[in-house]
Parts: sequence; structure tokens; C-alpha cells
Amino acid sequence: MSLSSSAALAASLLGHAASLGRVWSALVPVLALIVGLDAFCLIDLARSKSVRNAPKLAWVIVILAVSAPLGAVLYLFFGMDRSSRRTRGASGPVAIGPAAPPPVLPVTTGGTPARGALIVTTADLTKDYGGNGLFGVDLAVPPGCVYGLVGLNGAGKTTLLSILSGTRRPTAGSVTVAVDRRRVAVCPDVPDFEPWLSAREVVDLARALVAPDLGATAVAAALRTAGLADCADRRVGGFSRGMIQRLGLACALVSDPELLILDEPTAALDPVGRADMLDLVAGMRGQRTVIFSSHILADVQRVADHVGILRDGLLLYQGTAKELLETYISPRWLIRVADDVEPVAAALAAARWATSVEAASADVIRVDATSMEAGERGIPAVLAACGARQVSCEPAAADLESAFLALTGNGPRS
Amino acid sequence: MNLWRLEWLRLVRTPRAISLGAVFLAIGMIEPLVTKYESKLFAHVGNGVRIIAPAPTAAGGLNSYVSEAMLVGLILVVVLAAGALTFDASQGRAIFLRTRVASTWQLIAPRVAVTAAAAAVAYLLGTLAAWYEATLLLGTLPATRVLAGAACGAVYLAFAVTVTAFAASFARSTIATAGIAFVILLALPVVGTVHVLARWLPSALVSAPADVVSGAHQLGYFWPALVTAATAAAAGLAIAVRRLNAREI
Repeated sequence: MSLSSSAALAASLLGHAASLGRVWSALVPVLALIVGLDAFCLIDLARSKSVRNAPKLAWVIVILAVSAPLGAVLYLFFGMDRSSRRTRGASGPVAIGPAAPPPVLPVTTGGTPARGALIVTTADLTKDYGGNGLFGVDLAVPPGCVYGLVGLNGAGKTTLLSILSGTRRPTAGSVTVAVDRRRVAVCPDVPDFEPWLSAREVVDLARALVAPDLGATAVAAALRTAGLADCADRRVGGFSRGMIQRLGLACALVSDPELLILDEPTAALDPVGRADMLDLVAGMRGQRTVIFSSHILADVQRVADHVGILRDGLLLYQGTAKELLETYISPRWLIRVADDVEPVAAALAAARWATSVEAASADVIRVDATSMEAGERGIPAVLAACGARQVSCEPAAADLESAFLALTGNGPRS
Repeated sequence: MNLWRLEWLRLVRTPRAISLGAVFLAIGMIEPLVTKYESKLFAHVGNGVRIIAPAPTAAGGLNSYVSEAMLVGLILVVVLAAGALTFDASQGRAIFLRTRVASTWQLIAPRVAVTAAAAAVAYLLGTLAAWYEATLLLGTLPATRVLAGAACGAVYLAFAVTVTAFAASFARSTIATAGIAFVILLALPVVGTVHVLARWLPSALVSAPADVVSGAHQLGYFWPALVTAATAAAAGLAIAVRRLNAREI
């Protein structure tokens, strides 16, 4: 081979190599991107405890077989389970601690104060959804009380609370809230947060938006009060329904609000959680005003000192729980006698003050009276007159459920 | 913690950032490669039919990237923006946010800004990747023209994000919002078939990267479209804020 042809061949080979070098230089970044993305997804798949929407093996096939990098992108969006991840510094699996014990506070009692001293008032408040909604509601919430809003499903509780919190507007009427809007906190019945945030970050965001002057200690205190201190750095996506409910409460409490609006705060909680939540609410009496709605009458009776009863959008009753029970529950006693109940029951039924007498069992008589005083005076007198041997005589507990049923016409006046 | 940090975390703790980067980079790297070997690819899949492709050029490689980025990439950007801007899709989340801000502008501004910035960065990264590949395989490209054209493309993607914010004021769900945004963005080029309007519509910015690089148009040709995009974006955001403020939860 001549020198010139050798040179030409060498030049051709060098040119070919340079061309190949450019091709490889162009291909390497593409391959690196695709391989890197696929490797990232496969490593994440291997390390994850769980994946979404398909088994792990299926995702392996998708990542490797579907046109790269689309398979990897599909896994990132639809397969990766981000809820089990922790933020940096989070500790291992933890249990939910009990809520911090509420401080002992004096109970505010008494009837409705003068209208000028009220923290929330509505005047002829109406929200008409074409026949359903609220109609002519005149709410009066005294400061520092725990106000329980009671009603059946569809009575208008959530609508009323939504209007008070500003997320809906009334069709007619007015709402007056005597505190700055930033001092009002709302916890909906189904709180929801970004699943990739930790509990601490969620509460910190709530703090930053309404009370930026408060520091990290307020966040820690709110989490502790809600019983979430041990899982503050866990991501919300891994929380149970009850934990999210507690987180909603922590977000509401972090700014130390003057008015706290809770929509069905115990709806998603187990019995222990319900008790903790109710204790928390009861402990706030005097510290702040709490308006909470519930269809669990026992919860309202347990913690509320003021009650509002809604039915079909109408506010049927508003006042103290004590007045409600005294007004709508007839005084009742259960009398146990050692003798035959029939003659004793007949004697009691003949009394003018007795509104209802019936034999509850072989030795127990249930007596309703026109008033507490009439029963307290009349029962011993009748028993003495007929010579009956009294074993016991105790008043039957008046409960909110009975009053509610009597007021809403869903049961006979008890 | 604040609403801006929230959006940054939304980018990095979810697949948003990595998907944007991966998709635009992949398109940027692959399209010039495909342009280079287009004729050979056609020869393999032609099934006996002879397809004559134009000679590959660097500008053609970049043009392929722009075409794909403004299709696949745009879809991804709109879907991600819709996911961020539909905060009313969940009542619980809506109540958490709305009861703590004075105006929905506080919610919209970070979401629009961060998503638009992420889209612009991803698009520019893809442009750089396409530039690299095209230079290696097809020939040199003028730097200033590539960057000027890329800036126009980034502006269009930012405009698409504001269109999504506007759509979010009409719908609550992510799918409906993305759908409305796509309808608006697809309608613009249709309106652009009217010759006198074409230069003024934001959709003219879609072809700006390719046109500026190939020399078909100077950057100044696209000033009307840039001004219209900025004006329409501001108006769209104002309308969105007004409608979202009035929305009931």
C-alpha cells in the first residue's frame, strides 16, 4: 500500500472514528438519562414497602419494557407510594399519645347575656338552596361558652358554620362576628392536607398564615395538645382518619383563636379519641368560644353549656342546656315499692300533679309530674296515704336526646 | 413555612420536578438524534415504500425538539399546573387554605409562579440538551438565536400556566381544569389562521424558537405575541382571582 493511500485510509479511519466519537458523545447523555431514571425508579421500588396501583413485579416490567423514559415517569406518578416516607429527622413507628390534659377552668353558667356582649350574632340569616338551607336564623353565642349546634342530617349545621367561617355567603340576613377574622379558626368535618407534608409542616403553615409572630413553640404546643407530638415529623399521607382529625384541630389551635368553629369534631374518632376531643373542647370553656356541631347528642350534653337546635333550617331552640332540659323534659321519678304496684299506681294516677303514671315493671312505677316541686311534695304524701312500703325513689336522668326528640316532634314529650 | 415554600416542596417531594426535567431532557436529547438518522429509520420501517426525508440540519434537529416539547411537554405542564391550582377540589383542603388568607391571590401567585418557573427551567434544559446533540451530530447553531428562541418558548409555557389558572376558576376538578385549558390553548392556533391575527396571538411563540434559529423571522417579529401573552396572562389571573374569591366552598 502506498503512502498516500495509507494516509488516505488513516484519514478515513480517523474521520470515521471522529464521527463515531461524536455519535457516542451524543448518545451517552441520552443513555445516562434513561438509565439513570430507570435505575432511580427500580431502586425506589426495591426499597419501598408498598407501591400503588399494581404489584411491584408489574412496575418492574413497566419501567423496563415501556418506551423509556415513559415507563419510569408512569411509575413516578402512579406507582410511587409517597405516604410512607418520613421527612428528615423523623423517628421510627410511634403510637398516638393521648391529648394533653386540659386545664381546669371555672364553668360559665347562666342564661343568654345581653346582645351587646355576644361574640357571634346572626339576624334573620337565610341561605336558600331552593327549599333547603337556613331560614331566618337568629344565632346568639355568648363569649367564652361551648355552644353545641345540634340537628339531624340535613338540618343546616354545616351550612350555618360555613357562613360563620366565611366560606359561604347568606342569601339574606346578616352575620356579626365580634372578633378579628384572623382570630377565628375553623376545623372542617373532613380535614384534608397535602400528603407529602409532615404534621409539623402543616401546623407551621397554619401558624405562618394567621399568626406569623408566634414561633416554633406554638407549633409544638398545638401538636402536643392534639396528641400528635410523637408523630410530628411523619408525613400526613400515612395518617389515619382520626389522626388527620387531630391534625385539623392542631392547625386550628396553633394561633390561639378567640373563636373556634368545629364541624363534627368527633365524627371520625374512636371512643378514646372522642373522649379526648370532648375533654379538650370542655377544657376550652372560658379560654375561648367554641361552636361545634354534632348529631351525637351525648357529646353535646357532655360538653356544651349552650345549645342550639336546628331542624329543616330553622333554629327551634337556643339557650343553656339546663334551660332546655327543664323546659322540655317533664320531671320523672322511678319509685320501687315492696308491695303490689297496681294500687299504688292507681293512687298516684289520681293525684292532680301527676301527668303520667305507669308500671315500669313488677315493682317499679314511673311517675311524671307537672313540676319538680309538685312531685317532691306529692309522691311521699301519696305513698304514705296508701300505706305503701317505699324501697327507693329516684329521679330519672333527663337527657338531651329526650329534649331534642320532644322539641323536634320526633317523639312524645317525655 | 409559607405558601412559596409549600410550592417548592410540591415540586421536589412529588414527581413534578423530576418528571419535568426528565421529559424535556429526554425530548431534547432524542429528537436531534432522530433527525440525524431519520432517513435510515424510514428505510427500516418503510415496508418497501421509499420515503425521502430532507437532509438533516442542526436547525431541523432543534425544530424537532420544539415540536415535541410544545406537544408532550405542554401537556405535562398543563396537567401539573392544574394539579397545583385546583385547591378547591378537596373541601377540607379548601377550607384550610381559604380561612387563613385574605384573598385567593395569596394562593394563586406562588402556584403560578413556581410552576411557570419550573416549566421554563425544564424547557431551557431541554433546549440546551437539544443544542448539544444538534451541534454534535448536525452542525453548529448560533447561540444568541437559540437562547432568544428558547426564551420565547419559556414565555409561552408560562402563559399556558396562567391559562390553567384561569381555567381553574371555572372548574374544581383537575381533569376539568386541564381540559378547559387545553381547549383554550388549542383554539388559539385555530384563530391564528386568520392572517392579521396570527402574529398577535401567544400561539405564535410556539414556532418562535425554530423560526428565530432558522432565520425565518427575527426576534422582533414576535414582540406583538409577547406583549399579548403578558397582557392576557395578567388579565386571566385577575379574572381568576376575582372568580375564585367569589366561589363558595
